[in-house]
Amino acid sequence: MLARIRISLSVPLLAGILAGVAWGAPPATFESDIKPILDTRCVLCHGAHAPQADLDLRSLESLLKGGKSGPAIVPGSAGGSILVEKLVTETMPPVDPKLSADEVATIRGWIDAGALSAERESSALVTENDVLPIFQVRCLVCHGKREQRGGLDLRTRASRLKGGKSGPALVLGKPEESLLIQRIQSGAMPPVKMQFDYAVRPPSSAELGKLKQWIADGAPAAPPATREAPKITAEDRNFWAFQPPKRHPQPEVQREDLVRNQIDAFLLRKLDSQNLTFAPEADRLVLLRRAYLDLIGMQPTPAEARAYMADTRPDAYGRLIDRLLESPHYGERWGRHWLDLAGYADTQGFGDSNEPRTFAWRYRDYVIRSLNNDKPYDLFLTEQLAGDELYDYKKAEPVTQEVVDRLAATGFLRTTPDPTNGVGRRFIHDRLNVISDEIEVLTSSVMGLTIGCARCHDHKYDPIPQRDYYRFSAILQTAFDLHDWLTPSQREVPLAPAEEMMAYSAHNEPLEAEIETLESSLEEQAEPHRKKLLEERLEELPEGLRADLRSVAETPAGRRTELQKYLAENFKATLDASIGQIMAKAPAFKRAVEPAQKEIRELKGKLMPKPIVHVLMDAGGEPSGAFVYRRGDPMLPAEPVEPGVPTVFDGTIEPYEITPPLSGVESSGRRLALAKWLTQPDHPLTARVWVNQVWMRHFGRGIVESTGNFGRSGVPPSHPELLDWLATEIVRQGWSTKTMHRLMMTSTAYRQSSSRHSDASRVDPENTLLSHFPLRRMDAETLYDSVLRVTGRLDDDIFGPPVEIEIKPDREVIAKGKKDGYRRALYVTQSRQTPLSMLAAFDFPQMTPNCTQRQHSTVATQALELMNSEASWSHAKYMAGRVVDVAGDEPRKQVEEIYWRALSRPPTEDEMTDALETVQVLARQWSAEVEKEHTATPTAWTARWLSLATLCHAVLNSAAFSYID
Amino acid sequence: MKPDRPDGTHYGASPPTRRDFFSRMVDGLHGTALATLLAGDLLSTNLARGASADPASGVHDLTPKTPHFKARAKSVIFLFMNGGPSQVDTFDPKPALDRYAGKTPTMDLATDLASPEANGGILPSPFKFTQHGKSGLWVSDLLPHTAECVDDLAVIRSMYGEHFNHVQALFLMQTGRTIATKPCLGSWVTYGLGTENQNLPAFVVLDDPKGFPVNGIANWQSSFLPALYQGTRVHSEGAPVLNLEPPSEIPASIVEAERTLLSRMDEAHRRARPQEPDLDGRIAGYELAARMQLAASKVLDVSKESTATKELYGLNDPVTESYGKRCLMARRMVESGVRFVQIYMEKIVWDSHSDIVGGHGQCCARTDKPVAGLLKDLKQRGLLDETLVIWGGEFGRMPVAQVSNGAPPGRDHGPSGFSIWMAGGGIKGGTVYGATDELGHKAVEDRVSVQDFHATVLHSLGLNFRDLTYERHGLRERLTEQFPARVVHEVFS
Repeated sequence: MLARIRISLSVPLLAGILAGVAWGAPPATFESDIKPILDTRCVLCHGAHAPQADLDLRSLESLLKGGKSGPAIVPGSAGGSILVEKLVTETMPPVDPKLSADEVATIRGWIDAGALSAERESSALVTENDVLPIFQVRCLVCHGKREQRGGLDLRTRASRLKGGKSGPALVLGKPEESLLIQRIQSGAMPPVKMQFDYAVRPPSSAELGKLKQWIADGAPAAPPATREAPKITAEDRNFWAFQPPKRHPQPEVQREDLVRNQIDAFLLRKLDSQNLTFAPEADRLVLLRRAYLDLIGMQPTPAEARAYMADTRPDAYGRLIDRLLESPHYGERWGRHWLDLAGYADTQGFGDSNEPRTFAWRYRDYVIRSLNNDKPYDLFLTEQLAGDELYDYKKAEPVTQEVVDRLAATGFLRTTPDPTNGVGRRFIHDRLNVISDEIEVLTSSVMGLTIGCARCHDHKYDPIPQRDYYRFSAILQTAFDLHDWLTPSQREVPLAPAEEMMAYSAHNEPLEAEIETLESSLEEQAEPHRKKLLEERLEELPEGLRADLRSVAETPAGRRTELQKYLAENFKATLDASIGQIMAKAPAFKRAVEPAQKEIRELKGKLMPKPIVHVLMDAGGEPSGAFVYRRGDPMLPAEPVEPGVPTVFDGTIEPYEITPPLSGVESSGRRLALAKWLTQPDHPLTARVWVNQVWMRHFGRGIVESTGNFGRSGVPPSHPELLDWLATEIVRQGWSTKTMHRLMMTSTAYRQSSSRHSDASRVDPENTLLSHFPLRRMDAETLYDSVLRVTGRLDDDIFGPPVEIEIKPDREVIAKGKKDGYRRALYVTQSRQTPLSMLAAFDFPQMTPNCTQRQHSTVATQALELMNSEASWSHAKYMAGRVVDVAGDEPRKQVEEIYWRALSRPPTEDEMTDALETVQVLARQWSAEVEKEHTATPTAWTARWLSLATLCHAVLNSAAFSYID
Repeated sequence: MKPDRPDGTHYGASPPTRRDFFSRMVDGLHGTALATLLAGDLLSTNLARGASADPASGVHDLTPKTPHFKARAKSVIFLFMNGGPSQVDTFDPKPALDRYAGKTPTMDLATDLASPEANGGILPSPFKFTQHGKSGLWVSDLLPHTAECVDDLAVIRSMYGEHFNHVQALFLMQTGRTIATKPCLGSWVTYGLGTENQNLPAFVVLDDPKGFPVNGIANWQSSFLPALYQGTRVHSEGAPVLNLEPPSEIPASIVEAERTLLSRMDEAHRRARPQEPDLDGRIAGYELAARMQLAASKVLDVSKESTATKELYGLNDPVTESYGKRCLMARRMVESGVRFVQIYMEKIVWDSHSDIVGGHGQCCARTDKPVAGLLKDLKQRGLLDETLVIWGGEFGRMPVAQVSNGAPPGRDHGPSGFSIWMAGGGIKGGTVYGATDELGHKAVEDRVSVQDFHATVLHSLGLNFRDLTYERHGLRERLTEQFPARVVHEVFS
């Protein structure tokens, strides 16, 4: 009865709330919407210090109290509020600028809706919506899905009323008699001891007040959700990026002779309109270097370059592209691009935690292998979103690389910083951040959408209401459940290809046996000391306890009675005696066991880590339920939502539809349904976003320049018809990415020279129309890898655990090398905290959380790195040694070899002369230097080698090396 | 007579102008590179980054930009007190703590405790507060030297954060968010304003030789802002900048010969590729690297400072020497046109969970004199007006005792209310702004969020936090994002 009265009293207020909640737009409140305006614009005069007209505009109370002219506002009536009158008549603020129309409208709307404040709103009518988050965040970890301690489940109304062993949790209408309230008030719940480990905090007094009010009101259920469909207009839907790509016919152009394939036709069409055309074809060697760097990320060896020049067949260039696409290095180069999109790292990487993600490399290798095999892009995506839902890995026999790969593929959504392994780092906001980062990775890289903007409010530019963010996030909820959280360690599956597993066992088993023998002998030796220690400790306790505790100590944990278990728990400090504690007490024992302990440590150091796969898979069971969170705050759930994709696509393509996955696979199928939805052939974004990525990496900029944003706030495509043609073509070609490379790289557009002509610079300074090939600098890894290859120091093994890094005393971060060389940058431990200095200097992204487009900076630290680092000199000396190995003593041949290696071309006559003269000068200077050092090596030889090294160093520093024509 | 600038130029009455900057550059630059820099500078709208800049066009540089409005400060020195100094033991006296000594905290206070099991009841400050200066500002006897400078300080007593862990709280103070993925304050400032001296890094981090602060290099990351706005670590011991000098075994004559060869090669390469600004920029980068070697070594060498100055910073005392040296280096850098200097201590030194007397005592002993020395030195050189000095940590501490294993009591993290101070850069000295509750637990009056704090720092530099934007994915990112923020005008004169 009481409850009903309260509800009826609150109807106008409730209506106000509901109206605001319609599709996500939260009702304006004083704290979040009004105070910021008043604070910035009004409180300078109407604030703490001698408020003008006695009016203080800093709090809702003071607004209602008002000043000399009476209350500043009348809730429910903007028209009757002096505040509004002063604003609309622009008498206030007295100085420019006046408030914007939007700001005034916000204030009016807020007053008309009843001048809500965050506190008042919640005290108006407390419903399930208000208390649910308190249960979720403070109680359910022990009284919910995974555990029902004391037999209590606090998830539903029924289960709360049913209660646990101590009785019902709630007595409706009587908060003070409800166990729930009593236990919280007494401080018994949540238990102090467990709070930190369980990432739970006790409710605040405001929350406790809410719970009491809610019980007093009879524990009302959530108000019925208004399911008004988001207002998405036809115009919204018709935006080009939300409509399927259309295949346009090949346009007619003036210079048909320049058209090698459709790409050229679409590009020439636009060039024609500006009276421009392509630049002449690039020199063969220039094109060779460009193709190598583009496809495998390293330059040709002199032998490869010479062989190519000797190939006079008309299709030599096409064959070259085919050859490079077949190279295993292709997958490394293009895998790196994909790892940018995924935000790959080998560490959990959050804050100062550089905790390794030991087997993250399986995902990296999966990516490389998939690209090398030209795995169709639709399958590539599907495996990464839902590899675990595609097959029953538990029954896979034998465990092949392919089996492991499908599971490792789900590492795509396990790349972002995830601190939740750490106790104290798995609170609700920490988890929420992991989820929002993963959503950003997925949507920016694959969908070209900035859905993350709709986490706290409707998207400002695109037709993505806040509700859609939470519908989309619900697709992932079976895997990332805020209230049923899995830490990174809990997302590991022990699995490896059979061979690797066997090698692991063969390696570890003998070691483990040895450790066990040593440890049990240690325990045996410790036993008498332990007994003695226990007796000593018992001495300090009341006599009555001693016998019982002694019996606890003598009974193995599994066979203890309830009483013994209780004692064991409460007298842990007395009963437990670690080897360390015993050693501290018994010096003789310490001396006796120290060698054995050392041996154990050494043996443990030799153990290989247990092979696992980092996966994303469903947590199992029903997820905790998805809601729109007002202002993105999980403590403010609004309407519940079902999993779904952005509404703007409704009716345009096949809907998102969940079907149960294969029998035997215990998974919701939500992610598989997303993969299916994304990979339908005429999806407006999937193919466009991917071909645009590929295009950008060949031509320097995307057809859509904002590669991560195809929405209305992004940059419109420079060649929409070309983009659509490529998007439909890749689908026609069975989603083959290699086909795209072939198309792009064999076009006349790609084969152009990079020299600008002045007309083009005037008409199209940004070269959007591609009237010449863009000059580019090598990206960080290309530079790093190329230096290694050119100097002859590249260890070109592929796959496997990452190479360790080393932080030198001057804090330069370098990769550890082996005798036979250094591995490509991609195989060096990717740590967000300590990136290789060389990569960091050249804009290697910080993966925050991922990178859809590299930055490009030209700064002095790059020169310092390449000119002065120890590594750069060591590489140059090594290179000089290899040059002499090949070219012998003949200076001209040496210079030629250096040019072929580093620049894939012979030196010009001027360059040759300059190089020879400089080497001579350098050799004289080095001689003097070497003499001073009194080395064992012959002075002249050493000086010649060092002068050649100096020349190598200069060439590796030259613009000609790091820029690609 | 004012002293000379650390880089050798005379320190005149007026601050260095852009003309000074270019004239200082001319001698070492080849004509072409200079022309490019000049042209780039003159052609650009020359406004602080925001609505007019187009980051997508890809050209970023560190040339000085005109702020949105008249700046009060040109540079910032941010003295970061990582670990979280206790407000009720430094700048926010709470006599009520004596009244309630040992009492059980209220529920709300208890809710904020990270380790409730170690709750030892209300803990009065073991330090004595007295009023100082003309302003009569209260400071505890932990900070006798800072107390001498109170008439230059504006203490904000009503700061509040969002997270009680160091990691997240530090990210919040540095980037405005509790996550690892946003650009930091220093990066935003250098992005917005560039820097006055192209021979030195624009945004310098002087980290403690004893070790990184929590979050390590992520504290000075530029994240999605281009990498050139990232903080550059300058070491106060050993080689100041990574790879500033060639390896010692490479003789200077060789380095010189190689540089000439390289510039011939690069000139030829560039001539064959006209109208490629990136190539000009690259050549300039190599030349500037060579110049930085000279400039940086000179600026960072504190040995030539007078004995009086060294003593002012506590360089004559092993306890204060390390922090003092970094403060002195900071002064020399802002004097030479560095835009943003951030000084850290190691790890989380202020984190006095136990033994607040010993822990805070040690931190203050190490930093108090150098900090006061820095303020006094900046003032006597007329630099304080144009340098915003900020002192503060990632949160404060609880008014409740934390007890464990019989150690003397300490205090747990307190993000709900804490104190920071600012000085110089237009700050009204002797100001106290905002207040915490009776116990010093929560900020209750004139609350200042971290976003407000950031907006206020930008304001001092002539930047409007709403207009300092960077386009990413077609959207305008800002330091304060979409969060409500306001400039705390009350702390300015």
